[in-house]
Amino acid sequence: MNNSIIYTFAIIHCCQLSSFAGLTKQGKDESQDFTWHTVASWTWDSQDETCGICRMAFDGCCPDCKLPGDDCPLIWGTCNHAFHLHCILKWVNSQSSQAHCPMCRREWQFKE
Amino acid sequence: MTTEGPSSSSSCNLAILDSLTDDSIRQIHDSYTGFCATTATLLTGAGDLSVGPEFIAHVHSLCHHGLHSLVRDHFLKSLEEIFEQNGASKFWRHFDAYTKFALLSKNQPPICESEVQEVLCKALEEISLEKQYQEKCLLMLSHALQSYKDQMSEGRHPSDAERSHLFSRYQLLVSSVLMASLPRHFPEILHWYFKGRLEELSTIMGGEFDDDESQDKDEMDLDEKSKISYRTGEMDIDECSHQGRFLENNKLVKNIGKVVRDLRSLGFTSMTEDAYSSAIFLLLKAKVHDLAGDDYRSSVLESIKGWIQAVPLQFFRALLAYLGDSVSYDSPSSGLKSPLASHPSSCYPGIDTPSQGLVRWQLRLEYFAYETLQDLRIAKLFEIIVDYPDSSPAIEDLKQCLEYTGQHSKLVESFISALQYRLLTAGASTNDILHQYVSTIKALRTIDPAGVFLEAVGEPIRDYLRGRKDTIKCIVTMLTDGTGGNPNVSGNAGDSLLEELNRDEESQENTGVDDDFITDDKQAWINAACWEPDPVEADPSKGSRNRRKVDILGMIVGIIGSKDQLVNEYRVMLAEKLLNKFDYDIDSEIRTLELLKIHFGESSMQKCEIMLNDLIDSKRTNSNIKATIAQTPLTGAEPGESAVSMDILDATIISSNFWPPIQDENLNVPEPVDNLLSDYAKRFNEIKTPRKLLWKKNLGTVKLELQFEDRAVQFTVAPVHAAIIMQFQDQTSWTSKNLAAAIGLPVDVLNRRINFWISKGILAESLGADSNDNVFTLMEGMVETNKNGGNSGSCEEILVGDDEGERSVASVEDQIRKEMTIYEKFIMGMLTNFGNMALDRIHNTLKMFCVADPPYDKSLQQLQSFLSGLVSEEKLELRDGMYFMKK
Repeated sequence: MNNSIIYTFAIIHCCQLSSFAGLTKQGKDESQDFTWHTVASWTWDSQDETCGICRMAFDGCCPDCKLPGDDCPLIWGTCNHAFHLHCILKWVNSQSSQAHCPMCRREWQFKE
Repeated sequence: MTTEGPSSSSSCNLAILDSLTDDSIRQIHDSYTGFCATTATLLTGAGDLSVGPEFIAHVHSLCHHGLHSLVRDHFLKSLEEIFEQNGASKFWRHFDAYTKFALLSKNQPPICESEVQEVLCKALEEISLEKQYQEKCLLMLSHALQSYKDQMSEGRHPSDAERSHLFSRYQLLVSSVLMASLPRHFPEILHWYFKGRLEELSTIMGGEFDDDESQDKDEMDLDEKSKISYRTGEMDIDECSHQGRFLENNKLVKNIGKVVRDLRSLGFTSMTEDAYSSAIFLLLKAKVHDLAGDDYRSSVLESIKGWIQAVPLQFFRALLAYLGDSVSYDSPSSGLKSPLASHPSSCYPGIDTPSQGLVRWQLRLEYFAYETLQDLRIAKLFEIIVDYPDSSPAIEDLKQCLEYTGQHSKLVESFISALQYRLLTAGASTNDILHQYVSTIKALRTIDPAGVFLEAVGEPIRDYLRGRKDTIKCIVTMLTDGTGGNPNVSGNAGDSLLEELNRDEESQENTGVDDDFITDDKQAWINAACWEPDPVEADPSKGSRNRRKVDILGMIVGIIGSKDQLVNEYRVMLAEKLLNKFDYDIDSEIRTLELLKIHFGESSMQKCEIMLNDLIDSKRTNSNIKATIAQTPLTGAEPGESAVSMDILDATIISSNFWPPIQDENLNVPEPVDNLLSDYAKRFNEIKTPRKLLWKKNLGTVKLELQFEDRAVQFTVAPVHAAIIMQFQDQTSWTSKNLAAAIGLPVDVLNRRINFWISKGILAESLGADSNDNVFTLMEGMVETNKNGGNSGSCEEILVGDDEGERSVASVEDQIRKEMTIYEKFIMGMLTNFGNMALDRIHNTLKMFCVADPPYDKSLQQLQSFLSGLVSEEKLELRDGMYFMKK
């Protein structure tokens, strides 16, 4: 390598390069020289795709919510079944006695 | 001769024959011969009235025998003969010279216009003289008859019924003689005469008209300078010059008036009127065309009206005043009296109040002017609308004209044909058509607030646009124009629909107030009072004007049919824009979305809102994650690499369920970045348990700088491009197969992508050992000097546009295609059963049977495009509008 070309992004030489860049350029802040803006999608880390109560996707939201994600979280029971928080709360509150998991009929306990 | 007398009177009373004695017969005979002789001398003898007393005596004696009618008839007959010989033929002979040119050149003014004038004047003078003389003779006869009657009845019948009867007969005689021998080109000559004169007048008057304006200005200037003393002096001068010009006008008008009067007295009243009115209309038309021209930036209606007041009406005023009461041509005195003597007021036109005739003329002229201008504007309406906001004065003019003439249907017809011919063709871009449509809506809204004609005009445009594929896309671009759409697509700034959205918002607020229940009776009464019926052209099926509020967005959405398609397209576009964003700045998008929400309703924009919300959340999460890293560097990070800070990485985290389908493409990002990504995901998982991240590595943007020996170049590229170029960091030459494997792309995709760097001159492609395994080499020190040769060392920011369909989001068409594939089996099954089916039958059958999950909800057009896709895949066959299975 005859030192003819240097890449700013080169991670290994990053320090050195950014100082290079600082010298050769008109003092722009170096963090701008290389930025990587990427895209990701989030998903709930659960085995199932849809909520057993409302049949909506977990990555969507329950029928009462407008915004997915933080505003409409999932909740796991001790039986490891997941539901939309709002859905299972509605279910639990509607039961007069001890509520059971709608999927497996075991007693419903929120997983800690 | 002798028998003539009694026989002619025999009809009166046969008994009188019995009472005739020889004596009386002789007397009659003598008188008659004497009467004939004197008549002849009187009529032919130029101006010699010396035989008058003798003539009167003979008349008396004939009357004595009850031969009044004989006397009258004979006299008139002789008059006619002589007039025919002397007057008419001589008169027409004057114009013989013009026969040819008048016939040949109908539209070209005669070369010798002044000569025509002269000849006409001379001829008229001559014949008038002749006529005057004859009238004098006639007067003598009437006097004779009258005096006889007076003797008989001793003044009991002072009426001049006899005289007027005689004169009307004479008048009839004159005009019939002239009309009978009228040459065909005479009206033409009259027309040219009046045209010439009026043009002359118009130049004089027009100069005055212009001068008046400039004078006003002058005076104002002087006012400003407050040179009052000078001003009074100058005013005097002005007055003088004014007066001078006025006299000149007056002379000209008097000349014309004289000609008109002479012509009228000869019985050419209607022909004269035709001639000068056609000349005036011609002049007016020329003036309108001259004033209106091709300039739509100024209103011309007022100046045309001003001109009508200044020139033609002035002329009529003068003419009418000059002719005065002699308009009634059968008045016997008209030829005899001096016009000046009888109408002294005619020297000062404008003094008398506008007569009825004048008002009628004014109305006629104005109507004509309106119509001419309207026709002119309608013919150019397309151009006018093209530069609409600038051409609003012309539109305003047209509106006034149409209010006056009511020929809206003409506008609709002509504009539609112009549209068909010039706009709705394959050559026009959808964007242009849409812009023109919007301008049309705006312009026609001015002309016709009820939107009746707009309805008619808009129909062909809408129909046409429905047939275009990119209509929705263009509309959405227009809607979001202000937020930085593709600059190539967006037309001129300023007519974006975004401002329309804004206005719509305001108007909706207003209507909210309007729609409130009106409790006030008074208000209700006022509303009822200002009700106006729809124009007659209104289509009764379209509802009343209240419901037909002109709403640009509504009309635009009407093109597409439903707002859902529009919203969908907007969502795709928004996704594309958001995914390529470098920062999290979405203020303008939020604004647009809020406006769209007002118009399309909150629920239909729900998904878009979530998308924007994702961006906001991402920003927060992103800074959150970075903060935690800054506090506690991950234990896994090796100390040497800790410099590769998280700072270079930003992520947009999306709720994929609410985004349009995203094109996923595998991509191996460079290892350091990959490490960062997994680090980031780990952090996210820690913060937001139990959520995790799924990277879409092919999406996003990368800003990087390439440093060469002599210079540095900055690029903003897609991740795939960054991944490619980063591979060359350690190894300056790659074969395409190896490179593809390293990056995790198929070779053909790689070859396409790498073109970007080749086109930038960073990489070079050369044939390798294997024919389809090319070698890419890094260009040492930029061979391409034309790019940046002069300023080495400078940095250059190059934004990479989306080329060759390199989109992150699947387009709406692709989505629909994907959805339609479910129905492919149904369609195939149907066709095997039925053999062949027409499009709408397939459509209806699908609608009937595909009710369950997912229900068939596609439009006929969508089905058609899907089927044509199947045809091109050679699965189906289309013959005479029927679809078959391909065998």
